[in-house]
Amino acid sequence: MADLPRGAKKHAKIDDTWVLVCNVNDRLLAVSGVCSHQAKPLWNGRVRGGKITCPVHGARFDLETGEALDLPATKPIATYAVRVADDWVEVCVES
Amino acid sequence: MANQAAERAGQLPPGEARYPDEPSTQDIISRDKVAAPGWVRSESYQFLGDEDISTDRYKDPDFAQREYDHLWTRTWQFACREENIPEVGDYYVYDIGRHSFIVTRVEDDKIQAYYNACLHRGTMLRAPGSEGYATEFKCPFHGWSWNIDGTNKNVLCDWDFPHVDRDKFTLPQVRVERLAGFVFINMDQDAPPLAEYLGPEFMAHLDAWKLENRYVHCHVSKVIPANWKLTMEAFMEAYHVIETHPQVAPSNADANSQYDIYGEHVNRFISSLGVVSPHLKGQVTEQDVVDQFTVGDASILGDADRTLAEGETARQRMADMMRVMFEQATNSDLSGVSDSELLDCFSYTVFPNTFLFAGISLPMVYRFRPVPDDHRKTIYEVLFLRPVPLDGECPETAECVHLDESQSFTEAEGMDPGFGEILDQDTENLFLQQRGIEASAKQGLTLGNYQEIRVRHFEQAVDRYVGGGA
Ligand code: FES
Ligand SMILES: [Fe+2]
Repeated sequence: MADLPRGAKKHAKIDDTWVLVCNVNDRLLAVSGVCSHQAKPLWNGRVRGGKITCPVHGARFDLETGEALDLPATKPIATYAVRVADDWVEVCVES
Repeated sequence: MANQAAERAGQLPPGEARYPDEPSTQDIISRDKVAAPGWVRSESYQFLGDEDISTDRYKDPDFAQREYDHLWTRTWQFACREENIPEVGDYYVYDIGRHSFIVTRVEDDKIQAYYNACLHRGTMLRAPGSEGYATEFKCPFHGWSWNIDGTNKNVLCDWDFPHVDRDKFTLPQVRVERLAGFVFINMDQDAPPLAEYLGPEFMAHLDAWKLENRYVHCHVSKVIPANWKLTMEAFMEAYHVIETHPQVAPSNADANSQYDIYGEHVNRFISSLGVVSPHLKGQVTEQDVVDQFTVGDASILGDADRTLAEGETARQRMADMMRVMFEQATNSDLSGVSDSELLDCFSYTVFPNTFLFAGISLPMVYRFRPVPDDHRKTIYEVLFLRPVPLDGECPETAECVHLDESQSFTEAEGMDPGFGEILDQDTENLFLQQRGIEASAKQGLTLGNYQEIRVRHFEQAVDRYVGGGA
């Protein structure tokens, strides 16, 4: 948890999946760390109002639902369940 | 009064008449406890003729095309607020007609705006209407890329483009000026600087408002079924209040509002609140005025006790209440603010498509843009600007809520329900007005000399750019 204060984000590879966890107003939201448009890393993007913008082509996603909000993306990104156990942030990437 | 009789007899110069036997806006404001500043206590009306306004401007697609060719390309336009792009790399896409610009912060204190198009085969570098943060502006088609400062970053397979000098393939820019927290752009490299365009009087007014110390608390957009100029003109006078907003009239000095013009690009009205409409004189008590006061960001007043003491005026009570409630609700210091600024509606048009409101209870900005390819439709945006709280922590900038044509303004998050209803009333007239102008046997609009001077002043500016019409 120490790595994820309010407003922070953290990415990690779990098995073969890049996951991005964001602390939005003290809520932890986990999504795919890879843009659905051209598979660029999303973790260099900036989070505003619960949405993340891909810094390369400008696609924007809702961190809660994964919905694509701006072109050039048209497909959502995956969202994952998150839980905190003993100060560890755990993400469930099973489908 | 004698003046009125003289005017009716044709002896008073046109535009000099005012609502008979009623206090002027200046009379009302001069009785306030906390006195208003100079920009409130001045008048600047001028008679500009009384000919009809030709209506081809609202219904002719060729006129709309001339506006694109000669007006939108030559005027200063409000593109975004500084708080939309607070950090280096943040950008906001401002679209007008077929034009689109990426407005971006390239250094802490430097903002640039680029034509939103790839220099290879033209693809937009960012989606219209989008905003975000970029590490580079990379084209999604073949991956040509530009740095935040507009210089070329990458040309894929540059061996195939020996004819491309990358130093010359910097993103073309439009002019940018920043004023009071607003970022303005202008496509015309020869246009006068923004301060000159707006004129010294308005610049002094704006300087007093400190709008740079506000933030966007609420932002709503809606498509309106009428020409953009017609839509703007629905907000340029208080003459329509008694018919369109009957619920407002008991606490609005509508027919004795004040109208002023400043240079070629700015005009305003001051419409006093907490005072009964001259149309309702004798029908409403001072207590009724307080009880029915609903205008603006009034949700903040909550359920406060509104019972007037003996001899207390509704206007003074409203000002006193507003001061306390707004200070608490927004955590700001309003001790130096006059009663008039707390209460009254100060509506300014900044040509071509922005309204700025100066007060505390009505802290709006409006922006109007034609829907591309449809001169009968307008994208109308309403922003509420609240003072940045005293503790200095600025809340997040509100994102724009897009309403569809059938939705009510009251449905938008952050919108005061009473104000949303007023906006619904204003915009509901517009479909009928657009269609009526198209259906009419009469080819011109007839305007009041005083109360509708802003409409005439605005259309005269349109004519100067478009170079036609009457
Ligand atoms: S159109 Fe932009 S890279 Fe080809
Ligand atoms: Fe209105």
